Amino acid sequence: MVDSSALTKKFQKELNSGLASLVLLSTLRHSEEPMYGYQIAKLLEENSGDSIFMKQGALYPVLRSLEGSGLLESKVEPSVSGPPRRYYEITSEGRETLVVWQGVWEQMKSFVDKAIKGA
Amino acid sequence: MIKSIDEYLDQLKEQLKGSDSATVQDALSDAEDHLTAALTNLKQEQPDMSEEEAFGQVVEQYGTPSETASAYKEVERLTHPVLASRSPQDQSIIARFFGVYTDARAWGALLYMLIAFVTGVIYFTWAVTGVSVSVSFLIFIFGFPLALLFLLSVRGLALLEGRLVEALLGIRMPRRPLFSHQDMKWFDRLKALLTDKATWLMLVYMLIQFVLGTTYFVLFVTVLSLSLSFIALPFIQLFWNMPVMQWGVERIFLPYWGLVLISIGGLLLWTSFMHLARGIGQLHGRMAKAMLVTD
Repeated sequence: MVDSSALTKKFQKELNSGLASLVLLSTLRHSEEPMYGYQIAKLLEENSGDSIFMKQGALYPVLRSLEGSGLLESKVEPSVSGPPRRYYEITSEGRETLVVWQGVWEQMKSFVDKAIKGA
Repeated sequence: MIKSIDEYLDQLKEQLKGSDSATVQDALSDAEDHLTAALTNLKQEQPDMSEEEAFGQVVEQYGTPSETASAYKEVERLTHPVLASRSPQDQSIIARFFGVYTDARAWGALLYMLIAFVTGVIYFTWAVTGVSVSVSFLIFIFGFPLALLFLLSVRGLALLEGRLVEALLGIRMPRRPLFSHQDMKWFDRLKALLTDKATWLMLVYMLIQFVLGTTYFVLFVTVLSLSLSFIALPFIQLFWNMPVMQWGVERIFLPYWGLVLISIGGLLLWTSFMHLARGIGQLHGRMAKAMLVTD
């Protein structure tokens, strides 16, 4: 008997790891102001409804790696309560990349939809 | 069952054992930021929720330490720092020797060797002044906050140096100040800083950097001027009719083949030095990482 819930979990994880970059980049593209990690996580949680997109802790390494590749930039600012916060903002390079990625995603989506419907 | 942020951070650290120490620090500070913010927020929204319940809910959304750790490991596996090494394997020796000119790490190391002179002098002055002023004022009550401020500045400078090392030498260094417990009184904080091995290592690094920085700078300037003058010799002799050496009234000129050889020698000398600089850069980076990044 195959453990389908574990397989589903693994599938979900693999799917998320690529999409997280796209989602985070889009979120920051739509935001007027730089956002900090918790703010982003909160916003995603509100938008996702009941279905859990991914654990919030997994968003941070993606943010850092996007920053590392120059698609995001960040600055640390002190906060009134608690430790200083790291605010992320999309760079112009990030905006350009996002347009390309959206294209890739559209293609991928229609391809996958077709495959599922069996057309 | 995890009951507090500190406990969560301890477990996360445990789970990340064996990862790059800079990644560990990233993960810890991200988790600390998030959990603090989430907990504060949840308490405001639902004031009558018990501490334990609230924390459980926050962790449920953030992910267990092992889940979080695996997310960081996954990303670490896929990404490398900007100047991380590419290994040129199937190239001839000559191509590899001169390939150093296209290696960003070699140029970064050269730049670092220049900058290290300036930063070395600043660090040394700051460390020596800071230590002597703090120690001698400790007989007064205001000596304690002064010492605390100085030690905090050492941490700050160590972080700055880390950014410099990462940018120029391509060695991954921490991206955030070391996490400290927020609810500490300033005197406890001073005690924690004084008993932390990391603080002292950072201070020692600031002193060493003076010697190393001066050495790097002298090496850089000496080799650069030697190589450039070797390369320029043929032009100087042929166009301006200036001798290689003047011995009283005797003027020594090199034969043409000598001019060509010495010019090539200058080029080889500089190219070898770029290799040396890259090596020094890597060694220095490793030393900086050992002394400035704490587990």
